[in-house]
Amino acid sequence: MGVGVEFSGLTKRFGSLTAVDELSFAVAPGRVTGFLGPNGAGKTTTLRMLLGLVRPTSGTARIDGRTYVELDRPLDVVGAALEATDVHPGRTGRDHLRTIAAASGVPDRRVDELLELTGIPAFARKRAGGYSTGMRQRLALAQSLLGDPQLLVLDEPANGLDPEGIRWLRGFLRHLCADQGKTVLVSSHLLQEVEQTVDDVVIIANGTLVKQGAMADLGGGAGAIVRTPDPAALARALGDITSEPDADGALFVHSTDLRAIGDAAHAAGLPVWELRRREADLEALFFELTEGRNRNVGEAV
Amino acid sequence: MSGLTGAVRSELLKFFTTRLWWGMLIGVFACGAAFALIIGLLYTSEKFLEQSGNGGFGGAPVGDDVQIANSVYTAGLSISYLLMLVIGVIQIGAEYRHRTVTSTFLAQPRRPVVMLGKVLALVAVAAAYGLVNLVGSVLVGAITLHARGAPAFPSAQVVRTLALSMLVLGLWALIGLGIGILIPNQVAALLIGVGAAWLVEPLLGLAIKASDFGQQHIAPYLPSEATQAVINTAKASADDVRLSWWGGAIALLCWAAAFAGAGIVRVLRQDIT
Repeated sequence: MGVGVEFSGLTKRFGSLTAVDELSFAVAPGRVTGFLGPNGAGKTTTLRMLLGLVRPTSGTARIDGRTYVELDRPLDVVGAALEATDVHPGRTGRDHLRTIAAASGVPDRRVDELLELTGIPAFARKRAGGYSTGMRQRLALAQSLLGDPQLLVLDEPANGLDPEGIRWLRGFLRHLCADQGKTVLVSSHLLQEVEQTVDDVVIIANGTLVKQGAMADLGGGAGAIVRTPDPAALARALGDITSEPDADGALFVHSTDLRAIGDAAHAAGLPVWELRRREADLEALFFELTEGRNRNVGEAV
Repeated sequence: MSGLTGAVRSELLKFFTTRLWWGMLIGVFACGAAFALIIGLLYTSEKFLEQSGNGGFGGAPVGDDVQIANSVYTAGLSISYLLMLVIGVIQIGAEYRHRTVTSTFLAQPRRPVVMLGKVLALVAVAAAYGLVNLVGSVLVGAITLHARGAPAFPSAQVVRTLALSMLVLGLWALIGLGIGILIPNQVAALLIGVGAAWLVEPLLGLAIKASDFGQQHIAPYLPSEATQAVINTAKASADDVRLSWWGGAIALLCWAAAFAGAGIVRVLRQDIT
């Protein structure tokens, strides 16, 4: 069973800049939570406060009721892959992992297991100076799994990965969560990057919470677009299935059961010119929620 | 307690998994051997012995048999302690430069434990290099002294000096650790640290010695002077005031504690972003 995380009134000020402002939310155990927001929204600062790297100005971030520093063997509870972390270019990836493992009492055997799991056992014996971004990301994931933790905190893990790498990452996260029941908190500035992977979303902008909920509930969910000469008649014919008029005289039906919609139209004697599924437009919603709130985009002078 | 063992092991691994360590090994050995040869020949030359006998006129160093033996065996030490300073700076500076400090503090979030691990690992590494330095300097130095007809081991005090030279190296590594934290840019820390220890501090010492008060009460406590006191080498001039070996050790210990302590206090409060 995964562990849960609770942020409560978390605030961080750097001089006059409030990077994170009274942020409160919970991450449910055993689920993948996407932590979203535009660049500069305070995601990294929030995650670094959770992991005891940055001192909160006020508020707390707790993992199963304890702060990171209070954990006995933190790597056995939480694994993290953060941005702005790296490997000494003159050290091999394997030796890098060994230095981390030694500090937390993890045997070298475990290092080799993880290099196998992430598919880089041969590369990891070369000096890290020549590693590609994808290699570094895999090494960072291997590092996060050293203590076989129940909670994974991943900061923009897809950044700089090629499409092949992103596909591998998705499969890997699904494996960790679905097969092993781990809790995953993954940050991203791109919703579409994580929308196929996450169960829940937390969206922040300018250090404050703007939306939190299950991925399925976000933006009202998917439905179907139907085009027919008399949309009002079709709406009546659909009975219990609700619908609403859409652009260009089409009807948006709150159901993805295309067969039931087609059958209802046929029974009512209505011709169907178009019938297709429409996904919730999460990207538009995400943009709407965070638009105009990104402090990094300055106003024109 | 197991946390500290892990921290020390981790720091030793960090040191021995890059190429720095064997470069330093060669440097420290060569440095000990080469300077022992040069100083061994110089201090047993007739000119030196003549001046040494009549009070050290002409700017030649002054010392008895013990001090001459000590000087020969620790001749490379003032370069070796600069190398240890470099190791100290790099042990933390490389973590900032290559951004591994995040991983370090994730593996062990109790920062005092991490820093104590670094201190213990550095002292151990420096002592080991001290031994290597001695192998080089005693081997070459004893042969040189013997060949020149000077006593190679005039007294047991020489053994004390040899042991203390390892302590000196450890303390200089800790000064480096402090500098590496207080100047987080590793390149700047190395340039400023080595520049200050190699040139600025000795020149400052000379300036201070211009006044009687400075010569009596300030100069002996400077790190380089304290170092010479610990290992009891021949003096640069007969007027120099020297602390006793243990006085020098305490002075140097205070410098190491001040630099490393200030650095550690800073790390404990630092945001790692």
